[in-house]
Amino acid sequence: MKSFLLKTSLALMIPLMLGSCSKFLERPPEGQLTEEELFKTEDDVVAFTNGIYTLVGDNAFMGGRKQLLSELLGDEYRGEFFTGDYAEIYRRANSIFGGTRDDFYRKAYDVAGRSNIVLSHLDLASTRKNEIEGTAKFFRAIAHFEVVRMFAQPWGFTNDNSHPGVPLRTELNLGSVNRSTVKEVYDQVIADLKAADDLLPEAPANAKYYSVTKWAARAYLAKVYFQQNDFTNAFKYADEVIKSNRFLLDTDLDQRYSLGGSTEGILSIEYSINFYMPGGELKGAFRSDVGLPNFRFTDQYFGIATARGADKRREWYTNTLQPGFNLLTKYNKNEFDVPLVHLTEIQLIRAESAAETGAANLATGISDINAIMTRAYGGTAFNLPSSANAALVISTTRTERELELVGEGNRVQEIKRIGARSGANIDRRGSVWNCNGMILQFPKGEQDAFPGFVMNAEGGCF
Amino acid sequence: MNRRQLPGACMFTILLLLLSCISYAQQRTIRGTVTNANDQAGIAGVTVTVKGTTVATSTGQDGSFSINVPASATTLVFTSVGYAAREQSIAGTSIVDLTLTPADASLEEVVVIGYGTQRRKDVTGAISKVTGENLNTIPAPSFEAALQGKAPGVQIIQGNGLAGSGSVVRIRGVGSVTAGGDPLYVLDGIPITSDQFIRGNSGAMNQNPLASINPADIESIEILKDAGATGIYGSRGANGVILITTKRGKTGKPKFNYSNRLGAATAALKPEFVNSTEWLQLRQEGWANDGRTGLADVPGGLTYAQAASNNTDWWKELTSTGFINEHNLSMSQGTKKLRSFVNLTYGSYEGYIKSNSFERLSARANIDYMPADNVKISLTTGYNRGNNHRVSAAWDGGIGDALSSALPIFPVYTQENNYFMNGANPVRKIQETKRREIDNRFIGGLSFEWQVIKNLYVRANGSIEYTTAFDDIFESANWINQPNKDSGYAKRNPYWGTNKNGNVTVNYLKKFGNNHSFNFLLGTEAQEYVRKKYRFEIGDFASEGYWNNVGDYRKRRDQLVRDRRNQNPPQPTEIAEGEYTFNSFFGRINYSYKERYAFQVTARMDGSSKFGQNNRHGFFPAASAAWTISEEKFMEKYEFINFLKLRASYGVVGNANIAAGRYYPNFAIGGVNYNGSPTAYLNSYGNPDLKWERLNNIDAAVEFSLFNSRLTGEVAYYHKITTSTIMEPGLSLSNGVGNVLRNLYNSKILNEGYELSLNYKVINKKDFTWSIGGNISKNYNEVLDWELGPDVVSGGTNDTRIVKGLPIGVNYLVRYHGVDPSDGLPIWLDKDGKQTKTFSLDHRVYAGSVMPDYMGGFNTALQYKGFELSSLFTFVVGGNIYDNSGKYQFLGTSKKNWNFRRDFLDRWTEPGDIAKYPRLTYDAALYPGVPSEDQFNSTMFLHDASYLRMRELTIGYRVPQNMLRKWKLNMVRVYVTGSNLLTFTKYSGGDPEITRDFENPQDRNLSPNITYLTAPTQRTVVFGLNVGF
Repeated sequence: MKSFLLKTSLALMIPLMLGSCSKFLERPPEGQLTEEELFKTEDDVVAFTNGIYTLVGDNAFMGGRKQLLSELLGDEYRGEFFTGDYAEIYRRANSIFGGTRDDFYRKAYDVAGRSNIVLSHLDLASTRKNEIEGTAKFFRAIAHFEVVRMFAQPWGFTNDNSHPGVPLRTELNLGSVNRSTVKEVYDQVIADLKAADDLLPEAPANAKYYSVTKWAARAYLAKVYFQQNDFTNAFKYADEVIKSNRFLLDTDLDQRYSLGGSTEGILSIEYSINFYMPGGELKGAFRSDVGLPNFRFTDQYFGIATARGADKRREWYTNTLQPGFNLLTKYNKNEFDVPLVHLTEIQLIRAESAAETGAANLATGISDINAIMTRAYGGTAFNLPSSANAALVISTTRTERELELVGEGNRVQEIKRIGARSGANIDRRGSVWNCNGMILQFPKGEQDAFPGFVMNAEGGCF
Repeated sequence: MNRRQLPGACMFTILLLLLSCISYAQQRTIRGTVTNANDQAGIAGVTVTVKGTTVATSTGQDGSFSINVPASATTLVFTSVGYAAREQSIAGTSIVDLTLTPADASLEEVVVIGYGTQRRKDVTGAISKVTGENLNTIPAPSFEAALQGKAPGVQIIQGNGLAGSGSVVRIRGVGSVTAGGDPLYVLDGIPITSDQFIRGNSGAMNQNPLASINPADIESIEILKDAGATGIYGSRGANGVILITTKRGKTGKPKFNYSNRLGAATAALKPEFVNSTEWLQLRQEGWANDGRTGLADVPGGLTYAQAASNNTDWWKELTSTGFINEHNLSMSQGTKKLRSFVNLTYGSYEGYIKSNSFERLSARANIDYMPADNVKISLTTGYNRGNNHRVSAAWDGGIGDALSSALPIFPVYTQENNYFMNGANPVRKIQETKRREIDNRFIGGLSFEWQVIKNLYVRANGSIEYTTAFDDIFESANWINQPNKDSGYAKRNPYWGTNKNGNVTVNYLKKFGNNHSFNFLLGTEAQEYVRKKYRFEIGDFASEGYWNNVGDYRKRRDQLVRDRRNQNPPQPTEIAEGEYTFNSFFGRINYSYKERYAFQVTARMDGSSKFGQNNRHGFFPAASAAWTISEEKFMEKYEFINFLKLRASYGVVGNANIAAGRYYPNFAIGGVNYNGSPTAYLNSYGNPDLKWERLNNIDAAVEFSLFNSRLTGEVAYYHKITTSTIMEPGLSLSNGVGNVLRNLYNSKILNEGYELSLNYKVINKKDFTWSIGGNISKNYNEVLDWELGPDVVSGGTNDTRIVKGLPIGVNYLVRYHGVDPSDGLPIWLDKDGKQTKTFSLDHRVYAGSVMPDYMGGFNTALQYKGFELSSLFTFVVGGNIYDNSGKYQFLGTSKKNWNFRRDFLDRWTEPGDIAKYPRLTYDAALYPGVPSEDQFNSTMFLHDASYLRMRELTIGYRVPQNMLRKWKLNMVRVYVTGSNLLTFTKYSGGDPEITRDFENPQDRNLSPNITYLTAPTQRTVVFGLNVGF
């Protein structure tokens, strides 16, 4: 009897255990999907593409990190209050370690990687295929563009731009990729943006420029060509954006960083209370009404920026909120959309490009810069005469550009672009435009994963 | 039936079937007395068992016993700790008087092994046993800390000074990188939760789940170290296994025991910092050294004069003497049919940081019921409530701020009597934020043991560990800048986890003739773990924490749940996480020839949901053997040798200590809409090939007992190679999908070592005993093969590296040579050892390791009549501490703005000075080549980690028997115990035992001994009373 029961028990148990075994061991984590499970319809691809916006607006990328890394490399701030990574970058002596820089690099490539995933699922797309493909190519382009500007010497550093750029990621690959040349990177960026221009719609989703349009692609093409000192193309694309008449300069300077109040954003990352709130790092680094930020302007720059009493942009500065320190007020607010490219910048590009491309466009350039100055100075007092020559237009535009785009990560790229353009060193801190430390070092992890990875030379700027 | 219920259902079916088979038989009574062979005194507490059954009793105070035995019984087995076991035939007699010979207790003691027990002398694997009595000598923050120094090859780095903090436990080194290096903890047969990262990395020092195990419940702890011992745990045996066995009822009348401990806790060692005046002077000194003029810049928005008028001792503001208050009441009884053990414990263990304490409430009932001679039903239940009154530490502020950025020039309050807010103010944090982490843990098990026929046993066990845990945080109105005093914010994050485990084993003993005996074990086991939590934070404005207002919490929770259910479509409210299963088959064959040669083979087939689809199952075999040489004829002439055994093992085991579901791709529908439209994301890429880490483990040892068993000991050697290392970092940062958990097949990590333990009874008389003992072990660790660069494992809290040819967790640093007396600048050594005054990260070399060369402990115990004096010292020789806080504390008066440690005062001040540290500066980057204060890593802050610590000192007194009889008590003992009373170390930064704010298991593997504002361990002194009645 006993042995019968025992045998029966075992006979019952073993098949049950074995039979249930494989199912018993299947425990997919709740809420996680495989690639096949996620991508089933066009809507899924659209949703995944839509997710990239929040990655672009992430603190570590365009939600603040790109801007503050650029500002650190620039020449408008006092350096003695920065410590750690910030101090290194400020001293233009960025070394192989540093999470502030690494996270920016990683996040930019995450944007490229997600874009590549989208592009690999275009077969699911039908009616919105063009929009999906255009958006993915647009984001892939700006990811590479921002990285190549920060990690490689600028366009024009060598005659043929064969100097090392950054890894090009045009398809998903978990392994390492060595650096392409700067030319190859720019070629890819332009190709992606041109494709995006062809594919993207003119009108944004939901009537607000929180999504990518043809105009965003053209605005970025203008930025890219301008960075290359290719003024003909920069002018062409800036001109097309402006002539679309879809964007208006904000009348109130406070509107550029506001909650839906700007009319000049060509592509902005939407701030949506309770959903997605970008720009935290901008506030964290610069905000001067709730504490004393470490980004404090030099007296020299503060003097330049506030020299003209009529300048409405003086509102962007304070030396009284935290007595003794010259601080920015542009981001002294809780909520604002983060514009990636706006009309002011495009108009400044057209102004300078117009002057650079000869007499035919000069009047356009003068009118562009005068529009900016009329807004800034509350009148035409400082406007250029219609007889102004190209050199004056260029120099005026460069001055106004610095003042308009303060705190937006503009200055260091201008130092490098103008250096590459003419060999001039405009850096107020005395560095040569192409010294090693004007660009960031690559994360050491790239070399540890792939010994052949070519790192940047360091320092040498002072 | 739900597929997930199947294995449990199987178990249940089996148990029912087993129950139905209980049978009863005729019985007779055997009486007798057991006496000591040396002095003929009766021996109390001898276990008398009917051989081959579970029928047992134990002798009374005078050594007498009476036992009802089945008619078929032929032999009684007499066992007692400290005596050689004896078997006695009962054929044709009902009176059995016999003597027991005192023996080497360690050889006769029963050792718990995986799925069974063995006599110590039959064991073929490497197992260290620590009894509950030996464990409970000090009020450790968590039971595992009390193992320190008590078992060879087991490295315990005590938790820091926070109440309830966990220790780092490493058994014979560490061979893992990303996968956890902690051993598997098995409590009464159930692999329990010990993961400190259940809540991720929250608030610097994470909750230690092991703290809620009541040390007073523990009968013994067995530490399984080699494949011979851990092979039966297969894919989870690589880091060793710690078996925790709780107390059970002993045969005899009900016995009660009350014990308490009352005492105090302070910091064992603390770093010393300069005061406000000194800080400002040093600031000025650095300022002037840099060539700056005028008064130095002062942080915190203070004027120089305001700063000079403050002098806050933040350490003093944040600490006070903690009070320890523990009470324990237990009862043990046993009859022929029923044995039970019940224990109740309340303990409150305040740390030395204000507001910090760990509170324990624990109840246990373990019941064994023998309805028939061949059936035993055992119920094991324990409930523990651990309430951790947490405070901020390390980078999270609090005591961490007191060691870093809370400067002596900062006041606690402004002149307007508001908190000072322009710089770190840990007093504000400690007063205005409160946190409780409460773990309620119920562990219950039911087992049936049935002797089907002679020598055939079937055991079925079902266990459940059910945990509800609350992380309660309250932030006051002041903290969150709310004008209304009552508008603080209370939030609670609960989770509830179920860990079910069931196993069935069949055990068959077979003897062939007198010389060959076999023991076959075959088993199957299934485990299922799942944890759930709400998908949202439960919080609201409140005037106090939810722990004081559970009703408010429930109301808020129910409202949030309702809101989600009422949405269209209804939204889910809970999410499962960390879910995993194991399904295993295992077997063990023991063969013994003439009780002299023992062989053991184990094998386990593990399937786990933790592994990728392509590698779901693993097979783990192990073999071990032992030769008791002292039983050989040719050894008879060596009379001084009482026992001599050689043993060896080889096996393959695995490490599956990774979070659940990591193999699975993590594409997800976004929780956040963008621009009014849904989003989807990629969080991690997944890896269907992910599998366990493989460890090849060799062990060889000699166990001995000499000179009438006065000298006992063991010498062991082991050699472990880890391959298929589980690794997360190291993929290209530009791959766009992040890191992927994967196995590095071209990696090989060696742990090789020796262990020696010795115990010597110096004096062994009736009223006077004195023993000394100790253990020492050496572990050699080397990364034999490694395909990635040295800095792959770096950053974050990891200040150590992995480099081929060097130990895991090396300090890869620029060498600091000293100070140039002429200008006070640091002199470094480049890669080739050439002096240079320009710092460069290219000069980094292997400069040290966080792994000690030797470690161990030694103890002595002296007893004279009722008095006792015992002490345990623990030590570490070699290895390094990297003082990552020191790096900033040295630069404290620079723009880093930290506290300045007094030992750094030995700095250069003027030409000609011979100093240990360079001249001070306002900006670390002014030391040529130093990129920033973050990258100022050098051997300037690398220290010898050797220390010797008086871990325990106890003075006690046992009231003599004659008085006890008068008082009708069994036992009264009073004692005073101190822990961590003395520490000898060359390290000047405070406590040399460092468990830092680990972010993940990888940190635990690679960065013990790296400080970052680590609160020093506790020193405690307690008075205890123990009464048995």
